[in-house]
Order: sequence, then C-alpha cells, then structure tokens
Amino acid sequence: MGTSLPSREGNLFKLIVKSYETKQYKKGLKAADSILKKFPNHGETLSMKGLTLNCLDRKPEAYELVRRGLKNDLKSHVCWHVYGLLYRSDREYREAIKCYRNALRIDPDNIEILRDLSLLQAQMRDLDGFVETRQRLLTLKPNHRMNWIGFAVAHHLNSNGSKATEILEAYEGTLDDDHPPDNERCEHGEMLLYKISLLEESGLLERALEELHKKESKIVDKLAYKEQEVSLLTKLGFLEEGEKEYRLLLSMNPDNYRYYEGLQRCLGLFSEKGHYSSDEIGQLEELYESLAQQYNKSSAVKRIPLDFLEGEKFQKAVESYIRPLLTKGVPSLFSDLSPLYDHPGKADILEHVVLGLELSLKTSGGYPGSLDKEPPSTLMWALFYLAQHYDRRDQQDIALAKIDEAIVHTPTAIDLYSVKSRILKHAGDFLAAAAMADEARCMDLADRYINSECVKRMLQADQVTLAEKTAVLFTKDGEQHNNLYDMQCMWYELASGESYLRQGDLGRALKKFLAVEKHYADIVEDQFDFHSYCLRKMTLRTYVEMLKFQDRLHSHTYFRKAAFGAVRCYIKLYDSPSKPSAEEDDEMSKLPPSQRKKLRQKQKKAEARAKKEAEIKTEESQASNASKSVKRHVKPVDPDPHGEKLLQVEDPLLEATKYLKLLQEYSPDFLETHVLSFEVHMRKQKRLCALKAVRNLLRLNADHPDTHRCLIKFFHKVGSLPAAVTTAEKIIWAAIEEERLTYGQLREKSLLEANASFFETHKDSLMHRAAAAEMLFVLESNKKDEAVKLIEESINEPLSIKGLLGPARKWKLIDCIAVHSVLEKIFDDQDAALRWKLRCAEYFPYSTYFGGKKCSAITKLAHHQTEETSENAGTVNPHATEFSTNGNLEKSEGSKDLAGQLHSSLVLS
Amino acid sequence: MVCIRKATVDDLLAMQACNLFCLPENYQMKYYFYHILSWPQLLYVAEDYNGKIVGYVLAKMEEESSECHGHITSLAVLRTHRKLGLATKLMTAAQNAMEQVYGAEYVSLHVRKSNRAAFNLYTETLGYKIHDVEAKYYADGEDAYDMRKQLKGKKHQHHHHHHHHHHHHHHHGGGCCSGEAKVEGKAGEPEAKAE
Repeated sequence: MGTSLPSREGNLFKLIVKSYETKQYKKGLKAADSILKKFPNHGETLSMKGLTLNCLDRKPEAYELVRRGLKNDLKSHVCWHVYGLLYRSDREYREAIKCYRNALRIDPDNIEILRDLSLLQAQMRDLDGFVETRQRLLTLKPNHRMNWIGFAVAHHLNSNGSKATEILEAYEGTLDDDHPPDNERCEHGEMLLYKISLLEESGLLERALEELHKKESKIVDKLAYKEQEVSLLTKLGFLEEGEKEYRLLLSMNPDNYRYYEGLQRCLGLFSEKGHYSSDEIGQLEELYESLAQQYNKSSAVKRIPLDFLEGEKFQKAVESYIRPLLTKGVPSLFSDLSPLYDHPGKADILEHVVLGLELSLKTSGGYPGSLDKEPPSTLMWALFYLAQHYDRRDQQDIALAKIDEAIVHTPTAIDLYSVKSRILKHAGDFLAAAAMADEARCMDLADRYINSECVKRMLQADQVTLAEKTAVLFTKDGEQHNNLYDMQCMWYELASGESYLRQGDLGRALKKFLAVEKHYADIVEDQFDFHSYCLRKMTLRTYVEMLKFQDRLHSHTYFRKAAFGAVRCYIKLYDSPSKPSAEEDDEMSKLPPSQRKKLRQKQKKAEARAKKEAEIKTEESQASNASKSVKRHVKPVDPDPHGEKLLQVEDPLLEATKYLKLLQEYSPDFLETHVLSFEVHMRKQKRLCALKAVRNLLRLNADHPDTHRCLIKFFHKVGSLPAAVTTAEKIIWAAIEEERLTYGQLREKSLLEANASFFETHKDSLMHRAAAAEMLFVLESNKKDEAVKLIEESINEPLSIKGLLGPARKWKLIDCIAVHSVLEKIFDDQDAALRWKLRCAEYFPYSTYFGGKKCSAITKLAHHQTEETSENAGTVNPHATEFSTNGNLEKSEGSKDLAGQLHSSLVLS
Repeated sequence: MVCIRKATVDDLLAMQACNLFCLPENYQMKYYFYHILSWPQLLYVAEDYNGKIVGYVLAKMEEESSECHGHITSLAVLRTHRKLGLATKLMTAAQNAMEQVYGAEYVSLHVRKSNRAAFNLYTETLGYKIHDVEAKYYADGEDAYDMRKQLKGKKHQHHHHHHHHHHHHHHHGGGCCSGEAKVEGKAGEPEAKAE
C-alpha cells in the first residue's frame, strides 16, 4: 500500500489508513490532502480520502474520489478494496463482491480482503463462495482459531454437517491438553456444544452423547449441557435416563412447560393433540399429583391437568384452581383458562363453577362450603372473570352487565376499564371502546401499557390524530416528534396504516406499511456485523439459529400484514388513481399523449435537479455541524411525511408485485396471499398467474367463499374473452382448458350450475351464501334481485349453549359488515343495504357500523369523549360520522371501507 | 400459567414488541441480537398458555470493568400478567446463569427513582441494595438508582446438584468477560423496570 510514494508520503499514507481504522477522520483527511498536494493523482490516496469522506456522510464526493482513484490506479488492490467497502457501506453487496474479486485477482492472498469477502458471502448466502473463501483463509493462516471455526461454520451452512464436525475435531487436535486457558473456557465450551449439536443434526446421536459426556468438564454452561443431554437421551430411546434428567431439570425450573412435556414423553404419556385414554388420564393424574407435592409453588403442575381432565374431575380441579387465584386477584386468570374454551363442554363447566362462586360470595361473603370470609375484592375478580367469559361466548350484553357491576363495586380498578373497552370493541362500538380505554389511561398516566392499549383502540376507531397525540406522551425524543419509527414500533405502524386504508388515505397508509417493510430490511441488515463477531465470541449455536431466523424473517406476522396492506393500497390506487395535483393533471389531460410524455420527462428532470440541490444542502449543514464537532447525528427531514409521493408511482401493480413475491415465498399458506395475487394478476391480464392463484386457493381451502369467488370470476372472465389468435395465446388457452378439467366442481357443469351447487352445499353459511349470490350477479347481471334474495333469506340461527342466559346467534359482526358492503358496493342496491343494516342493528345493538340502538353514537354513552371524537373527526376525516335525519348513524365512504378491507373480494377491472 | 424458559432468537421480535408496549425505554432489534449473540444464556422469556410472550429479561455481562459482573438491561412484564411473580422468576433465572456460566461477582441494574413498584421488587424480594444514584440518567431528566446484588456465596442455593464444583478450578479474573469488540446498540441507555 502506498508503495509508489516516497517515504514521507508513504508514512502519511499509513497514517490515513490508521486514522480510518480508529475513526479519526479529520486527521486522515489532513494527511490525505498533504499527499495530494504533491501527488494530486495518486490513486490510492484519492481512494482513501473518498472512503474517509464517506464516513463523514459526504457520499457524492466519496464516490467521485474513489472512482477517480481507481481510474488512476486500476492495478491497485487497495483501490478495488476501497471501492468494495464503499459499496458495502451502501448495502450494495453484489457490487461490493465484484470489487473484492477484482482486488483479489491482483492480490490473491490478501487476508483482509478475503475476510471482507467472506462476510459478504455469508450475508448474501453465497454458500459455495463462502466455503471457498474460508478455506483459503484457513490455508493462509492455520494458526488462527477463527479461521478453523469459520471454515467449519461455512460447511455447516452449506449443508455439510459432517465435514464441519471433522474440521472442528481437526482444530481440537491442534490444541494442547490443558486447553483452554481460564479466559477462554466459555468460548471453548460453546464450541464443544456447537460441535455436539452438529453431530446431533447429522443423526450421529451416540457419538454426540459420548462426546458430550467425555467433554463434560470443559462445558461451562451446565444448563445447556443438561438440555443437550436429555434431548439426546430421549432421541436414543433411553427413556428412563431421560425421565431422570427431566425431573432434575424440573427441580431447577419447575415453571418450564417444555420439561413437563419432555417428562410425559419419556413416560409414554404425551399426545400432541391432547387425546388420552381414560387409563392414560389416570396415570397422568397420578404423575401430576406427585409433582404437585414436590413443586407446590409451581402453577404449572396445577394448570396442566386442566387440559386432560374431563367431566366431574375437571370441575373439581378447575374450581380449586380458580379459588385461590380469585382471592389473590390474578388479572390474567381468564386468559390463562381461555384455551379450555376450545375443549368441548369445558366452557359450560367453567360458567357453572364461576357463577356458583359468584352467588356464594354475594350471599355468604365466602366460597361455597367454606366458613372463611373472602375479602371484598374476590367478588370483583369473579365478576371480572365472568365478564370476559361472556364476552368470549359472544354474549356482550351479559358481559357488559357483569363488568359494570364490577366497576360499581370497585371504581378504582383500572383493569376493569380495560376489559370493558375490549368488550365494547368486540360488540362493535369502537368509539365507546376508545373512550373507555382513555378513561383507563387517565387513571395511571405513568403506565405505558394502558397508554398503548388506548392508542390501539383509538386507531381501531379511526381516530388517528388523537392516537398519535396520545402515543407521543411516551415517545417524545428530544426535538423529534416521536421515536416510534426509530424504535421500530410496528404494531403502531400497522394499526395506523390499516386505519388510513379504511379511511381511503392511501398515501399515509402506504407510508406506514412501507415503514414496517423497511424495518424488516433493516433487520436483515442487522446480521452483517455478527458474521465476524460471533466467530470471535464463539456463540455459534445461536449464530446459526440467527441465520436461520433471518432466512424466514419475511414469514413473520407483522411483515405479512404490512405486505397485505401495501398490496391492497396499490390495487386501490390502480383502480382509482388519485389526482396528485388537480390543475396540473387537468393541464396534462388536455395535451396529446406525445406531448404529455415530454412534459413528464421535463418534470422528472426538474425534480431530480431539486433533489440534488436538497442533497447538497443537507450535506453542507451536516458538514458545518461536523466542524462544530457536534456529535449528535442530524436526521434528514422526511421529504414526504404524508406519503403523497408514494401515490405517484408509475405502475402501482408493479409495486404490488414486489410484495406479492415475498408473500408467495414466505406466506404461501395464507388464503389472502393468493386472493391478492389473483386480484393483481387479473388486473395485469396475466391469466396464467391468476390461475396459479386459484390453484393455490383450492389447495388451501376449496370450500372457502373467496376461493369460490376467484374460481368463478376467473373462468367467467376467460370465457368472455375473444378467441385466441396468436400461438402464444393458444398455448395459454389450452393450458387453462386442461387445468379446468381437473377441477371437480366445474366438471360437466356450467359456471352457473357450479355456483348453484356451491350454494346448495353451503346454504347454512352466511358468507358462502353471500359469495354465491355475488357470483350469480357476476355471471348474470340481470339476476340481481334473485341474488339479493339469496342473501336476505339467510337465517341467523340461535346458538344452543347449555346454561344460556341470552341467546347468542351464529353470525359474526365482521361477516355481517362484509355482506353489507357486498350489497352496497357490488350490487349497488341501496334499499337492500339499508334493510340489511336495520336487520343487523337488531343483532348487534352495540355496533356503530349498523347504528344499533345501544351504540355510543346513538345513546351518547361516552359523553365526555364525544367532544374529543368530534374534534378529531374534524381534523382527520370530516365525514367520519354524520347523523342522518332519523337519528341513525350514517357512515361515510371512509368507514365503509372497513368492510371493503375485511372482505377480500375486490371488484375486477 | 406461564412458562419461564430461555429465550431463543425466534423470541426476539416478540420481546421487542413486549418492550415497546409497556416500557418507555426501547431498543432497536440489533440491540436484542447483540445480547443474545453475546450472552445467549442470559435472556429469558415468560410465555403464557396461548404462546404469547408476556415478559422477558434482557441481561448482559459487563466486559470492560475489572470485576466481572452482570447487568440487567431490561426487564418487563405485561400489566395483564402481574401478580404471578414472573419478574422474580425471570430475574432469578438470569442471575443464576450469570453466576453459573460467567462466574459473575454481582449483578447491577438501574431503576427510576419514581418507580416504587420496581424498587420494592428489587430491594425486598430480590435483595438488591442501592449502590449509587445517577443524576439525570434517563432522557426525561429523572435520576436512577444504581443498584447491586452480590451473587457469590449464595450460589448453591439453586443448583445444589451435579455441579462438580467447576467454579473452583477456574477463576474469573476478567475471564469470560474478556474484552471483545462490542456491537453498539443505538438504543440509548438501558434500564430495568418491573410491573
């Protein structure tokens, strides 16, 4: 490096490199400038100066200098390396890899460049390349521990576990007998555990166990040792030893449910689905009775039997489980027991038991059969439980009565208001739910949990501005408005994106959804530093776990929801392109297409110019900040805070496709993925892709209403197209015909007949009836009245539950809203929509959507909140709520979109 | 009711969500990665019967100081899941691991002066003592108690079985806490809070 320079400048060059490494950038710049004074064209100095400027956030200059440096010294590996580093800093890994490869062509044994290359290969999962590079590093420097480990990990990642073990054993062979020294014990122990997990992964269980036992004294992490041991023992079928180990682990942590599961497995008493014979139940009972004596403080030993016990035994056990927890006032009791509501019969028993306790507490002040008096709070907690119980059983009337009783009993208990808010939400009164959550929030302003809960409810009620104001109480960060984005607060971004989407504000909605997408991109990026860090730290098991986590990162719920949201936005944008600025568009539309194009190009150039100017400005301000040695990083101002620019995409469907691809790859088992894929590809006239979506829908759930919709729409659309002309079209046509033959539901049937038979099969289900009605209308638009009748003749059967107080019915609020939207938007039958609304208002008296007689907008229950709501409505969506003359709540366009979103069917272009 | 177990990488997103929902001090994902990839033994979660993460402890070893010790970066339990002793169980698990794996002498943490509930938990249930007061420790200007709990000497309470007394033949004079390059969390100052 810097070899072509005289010794004074040579030393200066070394100083630049050193300053760069120690982050003393100013010093480095000074040294670079003094070389350049004498040798203004010295390539490596130019490059290094560029790299240094890059660290000072002077990007354009940096690129210019680095490129000039390279031009002046194409044969320098330093220049290529620096160019690679520059790309790397901008996350352009593919370009960076190319640069490194060029550098290595000049200097094939350069350790630093090889190491940098290996990091990029790990990041990009270029696993063959990774193995190759790590091999060269080991060959060049076999005395470095890290090179052995890196080579082994590379083989492991490249699916060659046995080779990886071999390498680790060879490495162990190079060590002295008294290895490790005291300060490397943890690392060495981790390496051994990694090796053993590799053996286990390769199916070499005996060897793994043998090795584990042999190295016991060298493995520092004793818990990991035990957990590894028991996993091997059970896999090898040494169940008695396994049982012993699990009992030992339980004595260390009797709250780890996985140990109980393991113990049951060793005893042959485990069923994934919880199905046990009465004999097995007896044995399990015995097991847990003895465990309960050993671990009397563990709640697990009392809770687990509730899963397998039945009937009277269950009733007895659950009652003695519940009593002390009500006395103690454990707020999570209901959520703890809620999985039992999926077991047949247990919900009825729970209802019976808790009602019994309630009655006894009210009449005698104690539990049945007990002479002791309970504290007054016990009754409150019993009512608290019952409220959630009835809410769960869709009897919100009783739930509200119970929670109100509890609130009268103890008006200061915040949890009661939180639960009341949740019940109101389930009942469909989002405004009252938000108001109630706000009441809870005001009772303890220092608790972020109830603040967050309140923000969530406000967003559900589409009070976005108010929600943000509330959230900011905890997220102010210096002068910044809030740090929700910086801290990757994704639940908030999703909830507000969904609210904007409901209100039809696509720009803001997209802004939020894409923010979530950006967080995921950043998380992918986060792994970069750990490729080298973990090899040094030797936390190899966790490192590999992290890489695997990263490989399926995009299957995570938040990402999926954000991608669904973004695709919906783009579809809506395509269907009804917004007018970015009315006059301009007007002007544009008057022009002939050729001139329009020219004008657009002109505008684009102007925009680019403005952007460049803005960049230079921020640069200048940053540079001046740096000179004042202000360390605080100045955040560039968001040039598009409301997502208006996001709406100006050339081709919304192309944008949608980006996210669809990720959904198809990482969320292929979600119906919505393929419904959206169908909608996008039908709009793009990509028939084979749309057909693929239909095929996937059939695979996932052939009976689903949305599957039916897509199937019928597809073949209806295809059938209405003119006959194929070109060869390509004919091939597509033939493929579609062939596929059609494989669909049983369409065999020897017209679409109309297929639709009728779908209706017949599912006529007891509202949503299926609605889908069939919709398709009837799609197929024959003159049969609208008949189709509407199919919906209106649906019957909302009462659900028969034992011990019922008020009749719960079958239909869900969310479905009824979706049906309303079908009537209103697809059938465009306002009379039918109104009839539907009045009918549903009876079923859902709390629903603000249907204007039920008990909803807050009608009764003004949430009186002190209405001011805020209307104020909010004024700022966010002036038409959010308006009263029609008869006093019924009419929803504006924005609110109706709620239904559009719930209901996945979108009108085809 | 609630399962207390070691956290895995797959729990990190849920831990971050839990933190963001109930604590004012938050961290980017990278800081969670940094913890689990440095001290995988020191992260624990509380998982409810529905598989939801309702609490966690995020802890680390202080590598720079001469005396090897652990530090609780963050502790959270959702408000809905209080009164189950989860914070105590999480803390105990992390403290045991610090001591057993890294031979920590003591464990430290910061708590807001105004957070009485957490302060009581640390002093009364968990045996922490005030070591110092850090003025204006938090972004909003509030002071923090710098609290410590001595670990050595109590070590056989929880792990009396099968230990072969490994700690006796290795000493932790900076041992496992040897200085390694640190991945910077951009998250600002860590803190701990209990229900």
